[in-house]
Amino acid sequence: MTRYWHLFKDSALLYSFGRDKVAMASFSVLLLLVLLSFSSPLIAPFDPYDPAGIDIMDSDIPPSWQEEGDPRFTLGTDAQGRDMLSTMLYGTRISITIGFFAVLLQSVLGILLGLAAGYYGGRIDAFLMRLADIQLSFSTLMVAIVVLAVFQASFGTELYNDLAIFMLILVIGIAEWPQYARTVRASVLAEKKKEYVDAVRVIGLGSRRIMLRHILPNTLSPILVISTVQVANAIMSEAALSFLGLGMPVNKPSLGSLINSGFEYILSGSWWITAFPAAILIILVLVINLLGDWLRDVLNPKLYKD
Amino acid sequence: MKKILTAAACVLLGLSITMAAGAKTLRLAYDADPVSLDPHEQLSGGMLQFSHMVFDPLVRWDKKMGFEPRLAESWKRLDPHTMRFNLRKGVKFQSGNPFSAADVLWTFERLKQSADFKGLFAPFKEMKKVDDYTIDLVTNDPYPLVLHMATYIFPMDSKFYAGNDAKGNPKAMLKKHADTYASTHASGTGPYTVAKRQQGVRVDFQRFGGYWDKKSPGNVDTIVLTPIKEAPTRVAALLSGDVDFISPVPPADLPRISRDPNVNLVSMGGTRIITLQLNQERRAELKDPRVRQAIVYAINNEGIVKKIMKDFATASAQQSPVGFVGHVANLKPRYDLKKAKQLMKDAGYEKGFSVTMMAPNNRYVNDAKIAEAVASMLSRINIKVGLKTMPKAQYWPKFDERAADIMMIGWHSDTEDSANFTEFLTMCPNTETGYGQYNSGNYCNKEIDALILASQGETDEAKRSATLQKVEQMLHDQAAFVPLHWQNLAWAARKGVNIEPVVNVMNFPYLGDLVMD
Amino acid sequence: MIAFLVKRFGQALVVMFVISLISFSIQDNLGDPLRELLGQSVSEAERQVLRDEMGLNDPFLEQYWRFLKKAVRGDLGNSYFFKRPALEVIMEKFPATMELVLGATLIILFLSIPIGVYCAINPRSWFTKVMMGMSIIGISIPVFLTAIMLIYLFSIALGWLPSFGRGETTMIGFWETGMLTWDGLVHLILPSVALSSIMLPLFIRLIRSEMMEVLEQDYIRFAWAKGLSRKRIWFLHALKNTLLPVITVGGVQIGTMIAYTILTETVFQWPGMGFLFLEAVNRVDTPLIIAYLIVVGVIFVITNTVVDLIYGLVNPTVRLAGGHS
Repeated sequence: MTRYWHLFKDSALLYSFGRDKVAMASFSVLLLLVLLSFSSPLIAPFDPYDPAGIDIMDSDIPPSWQEEGDPRFTLGTDAQGRDMLSTMLYGTRISITIGFFAVLLQSVLGILLGLAAGYYGGRIDAFLMRLADIQLSFSTLMVAIVVLAVFQASFGTELYNDLAIFMLILVIGIAEWPQYARTVRASVLAEKKKEYVDAVRVIGLGSRRIMLRHILPNTLSPILVISTVQVANAIMSEAALSFLGLGMPVNKPSLGSLINSGFEYILSGSWWITAFPAAILIILVLVINLLGDWLRDVLNPKLYKD
Repeated sequence: MKKILTAAACVLLGLSITMAAGAKTLRLAYDADPVSLDPHEQLSGGMLQFSHMVFDPLVRWDKKMGFEPRLAESWKRLDPHTMRFNLRKGVKFQSGNPFSAADVLWTFERLKQSADFKGLFAPFKEMKKVDDYTIDLVTNDPYPLVLHMATYIFPMDSKFYAGNDAKGNPKAMLKKHADTYASTHASGTGPYTVAKRQQGVRVDFQRFGGYWDKKSPGNVDTIVLTPIKEAPTRVAALLSGDVDFISPVPPADLPRISRDPNVNLVSMGGTRIITLQLNQERRAELKDPRVRQAIVYAINNEGIVKKIMKDFATASAQQSPVGFVGHVANLKPRYDLKKAKQLMKDAGYEKGFSVTMMAPNNRYVNDAKIAEAVASMLSRINIKVGLKTMPKAQYWPKFDERAADIMMIGWHSDTEDSANFTEFLTMCPNTETGYGQYNSGNYCNKEIDALILASQGETDEAKRSATLQKVEQMLHDQAAFVPLHWQNLAWAARKGVNIEPVVNVMNFPYLGDLVMD
Repeated sequence: MIAFLVKRFGQALVVMFVISLISFSIQDNLGDPLRELLGQSVSEAERQVLRDEMGLNDPFLEQYWRFLKKAVRGDLGNSYFFKRPALEVIMEKFPATMELVLGATLIILFLSIPIGVYCAINPRSWFTKVMMGMSIIGISIPVFLTAIMLIYLFSIALGWLPSFGRGETTMIGFWETGMLTWDGLVHLILPSVALSSIMLPLFIRLIRSEMMEVLEQDYIRFAWAKGLSRKRIWFLHALKNTLLPVITVGGVQIGTMIAYTILTETVFQWPGMGFLFLEAVNRVDTPLIIAYLIVVGVIFVITNTVVDLIYGLVNPTVRLAGGHS
């Protein structure tokens, strides 16, 4: 363990991080958002999931510094009478969770399929890459819209509301695996030619072990770069789907569904219902993208193009 | 290339300005455009709004819920079964054909074929032609609502719809899901003709030169109707001057619109009641009138009106709105949490229970938000609500299954009369007669059924009113359902478009009489 | 080449078949289309009659078989709401969506290439830094937020541009265009900008990084050594090779753009296919939903095939029929 820590401490990654102000700032903002949102049950002033704690008479209160504000609700309340601050904390947690797990799913899928395609080659490779082509030619958002509309319809809205978070993770996760598969496959093809792979094969290690223990670590840096960008993309996709009413339900809102529910009030002067979640969403996605940019510059991996 | 484009654009711009100076065009945005040009295809607010533009009824509602002569100049009750109408002479259809009693008879027969209208016209036995400009409308039993129904008779041009169309189908064919001649061609006596129609995108109406009503003050030559479904976009279109007149106006935007100096807002109390039905067949608890009362007392419907509806609704304690014969003036909203808790205790449910509830999320104004507010209010008397909201297309099949313990239903009386509410919402469900078709609460009280049936043949206004008021009082006392509010109506237009005189509580703006500065 | 096209066509057919089967199998769950067709007080018996007439009570396989038989003849059924062939309704809205995509594509083309090239050539200039900063912010703002902000700023606050719809349109044959009138062009501006907002920064960054990579290549160094003029090197040799991968990405992105038209059209009430699709989902207009999915599937297949063909023409090392080797 300590060995890895030393490796990490002396790495070029950390060195460059220490010298890049944008990266440091982005990372701290991201860390702050993650910490705050995941401790929301502890720090949020209200519980937005508890109907008994919500009073309709408190709805639509502007932020507390405005004339009609209420000191209980720092950032005001939404149309249901929920405290904006608490709802946003919980909503950010949902958005981050969906983004993280969707990317986890797509990376696991993509890495396994990419390894298989690259290592075994032949028909498996041809089939998997063709599948990836077809899947990529339909855009993720399109697939997600259709699949979610279908599921929402066939589950009925009631069941869908309970399953929404899993459905979003599944749909966004499955739709984007080719991104990983192609990159991993390309690296595998490059690595396979190298002598060390032949060497371990001569020792008699199984192919699974060769792939996971020897080839995979060499593909980590492109995966890391893709993952960062993909988390940002997944959060954006989720927001877009929620905006169309296909994402998280109103009683368990993500940032996207909060923006959606505020959209009808934006002209009526209740700007805070849309503006605050929108700002958080943009900041969240922006810092992740900035980190991704920085990682790309530092690691400079060979990403799959074409 | 760029120069040519700019020049062309300037010419076009110039053209449109000169054209605008001569003719008055109203740019109108509703939430939807008419689904068809056939007035008998669907009974809906949108179709009636359309009918009042292209057709004329025999009589129409005035602002005070009275009747105003249109194609019928006068009427007289001959006996309890018969009403005689004298038709207007010298009226021409838009096709040029003259209007006469034959057209009214033809229209009446067609109405009785229409799936949507045949129910409303069931009490009528026949329509008889006395001479070319006189008809008798005969009912099976004495019927008090003959004039109410006459507002639905928009005479169609029987000669225009005679014969077959290019596909060999009769031009008069009335079919819901087919491309019929009548659904794409119209000839009525109304103030406007359909000049161009692109379904779902826009409809252009042109003032009919031969319109019979020379006294109508209306001076709008062209109306361009654009459906804008998203409420914020509709409001944005009005505020940015892209359209002149919008309806409906979303409650959230009312303050902003009323503050805007360039825009006029007209609103009035509506007649659509929003209620919750408590299913006593699914839940034994809800059979107990005390539990039902507790629920009514626990729901702060005035709060819902104030906060969710932005005062753009009238909190109610009964079905019939003001102006209806069954309206009982002294029934007031009953929010009282203490009393609600006491009633729950009396009924032995102090610890509460769990129920399921369903509501649509795109049918009534703020329906899902109202349902959520109700759920959180009921949690205060320890009733845990499992709430599901869904799009209307999925909600109605669920409603037919009576799939939840509490269901939301809004109702607009097609007859503009009190009895209609009870017939559909609170009479004992009976598949043969169709009564109680929308009574998902299964509330059933034989005494109320008897009173309503009696009112149907009662032509004495005062007696009928007393009966219907008694029904409202009984429903109120037994908490047969949870009354929430009547949705208000609102229209907004830019200054200079005088919408106030032409809008009404039925929400059919009489655009033929609209005056623009 | 022929084999390649046949293969693609076969794939397309399989995809269409799967789409139609899926959308058909879920139609019962989408809700009841009759409620949108009938008034509130129509009795249950009346509704059953209509349902029988429309064949909605038949067993699933019978309905699907009927659909397939008609579909092979190009008839995808009648839209319940429009009462006309679903394909005809979709194709009427097709020009609106395409003009929106075209508007956005033009914006992307005319901005991303000059900006991307400039940023690659002058990596240290302040303009490049501003552009790179702005592009990463641009990538991070969702399309629907951009759209709302544009309406708020340009339509409501400033009152310069219309907020919804297509404005005045003219018919050229079957194609309804908004691009010939001033009113139509003005209406096109905000939606196109909103739609391009997500792709533009992506393309600027893509072109910049590709161009920088190309400028590092040996043949460019040789070109410098040979003493070719700057302009010739940048705009002839480097740009040509930069645009190659951009074409591929661009092809895939047209698909993405069509998906984003659903968002843009919803906010701007743009009467195109995406808007129609969401309306159809709300109205449970199954024939229309199926027709939309099939049309979009065809568009995806065609753009991808065309991109592959172009790529094959520009870069002869790619063998078409064999796919990736």
